[in-house]
Amino acid sequence: MTFINYVAREINCKIVYYGPGLGGKTTNLQYVYQITGTENKGKLISLATETERTLFFDFLPIDFGQIRGFRTRFHLYTVPGQVFYDSSRKLILKGVDGVVFVADSQEERFDANLESLSNLAENLKEQGFDLQKIPYVLQLNKRDLPSAMPVDELSRHLLVKGEPVVEAVAPQGEGVLTTLKAVARQVLIELRKSA
Amino acid sequence: MFSTVSPSNPDANSNNFNLHETEFHRIQAILVKMQNELRAQLVLLISRSGQPIVISGPADNIDCTALASLAAANLAATDGLANIVGEREFSVLVHQGSKRSIFISDLLKRFSLVLVFDATASSGLVRYKCKRTTLLLEDVIRDFQRRIEKAENVMSIPQFSDEEIEELLGKH
Repeated sequence: MTFINYVAREINCKIVYYGPGLGGKTTNLQYVYQITGTENKGKLISLATETERTLFFDFLPIDFGQIRGFRTRFHLYTVPGQVFYDSSRKLILKGVDGVVFVADSQEERFDANLESLSNLAENLKEQGFDLQKIPYVLQLNKRDLPSAMPVDELSRHLLVKGEPVVEAVAPQGEGVLTTLKAVARQVLIELRKSA
Repeated sequence: MFSTVSPSNPDANSNNFNLHETEFHRIQAILVKMQNELRAQLVLLISRSGQPIVISGPADNIDCTALASLAAANLAATDGLANIVGEREFSVLVHQGSKRSIFISDLLKRFSLVLVFDATASSGLVRYKCKRTTLLLEDVIRDFQRRIEKAENVMSIPQFSDEEIEELLGKH
């Protein structure tokens, strides 16, 4: 739910990073946090277990700057990827404006990707959204690992609607900002269209 | 300006929430009054998706953005708990600390009132005042929903160009 405050001249949008467990969703946010200047970011909140697995969500507010005199802020969330946290994932999708699917390129995680993608479509539908219509980017993470499937093959199985596909190695930041900008671009275009 | 949305699906993708100056000031006046009556440190109206909408209070050492996100998640998780135990909702949450406490209540399933107060205010008084404030806020929200449905005083969404979007994204 994009929130425009005409008094404060602010545009606020919500982006959710979705995907299978240990796929790199949290790592994406951690990298964005690291490279963003203090004046353009809020606190990175991580509700995680002792072993640093996301328990409920990660949250990072980012200020992109001004457009037409409006300060533009993106609220980035990740969901817990483990299968049994489905109830929590549904809650985090509330009011979402754009989604990034962080796929794990490893062959052994192929089924987990498919399951998570199906779960995303289902949970979006429950919240009243349509994956075919919402701003959406597919990130193929872990491109550096030896068991990474070819991009063409992975894309063929995971593409939903011809969305932008970004190859990434999240711990090194490769593809992280490209992904974020791709989904932010779609969210702003969608906002403009809604006038 | 709201897009027209079906009442059964208030969070559909086509829905933006645009706060008009009149509503902002009405809401702010209600929150300020509540803050003064309870000597609260902070009063916020937040969206259920976790965004702070109107804030009243000094908030010197409180990160309101993080507070809004966590309060919304808290309330959302509580909805889940209510569902599991067969309750329709748990619409009010109180977290009592040794020096500060937090009160969170639902507003029409789309917003939430969040209050941070210290030990000088009794939780009973807080609940009473919040109940009254919730009704006042609900009136304001219903008023501007009606205004939007009638397409009165619609504020236009900024029509930024593709170049302006690329320039914004290029800065990051």
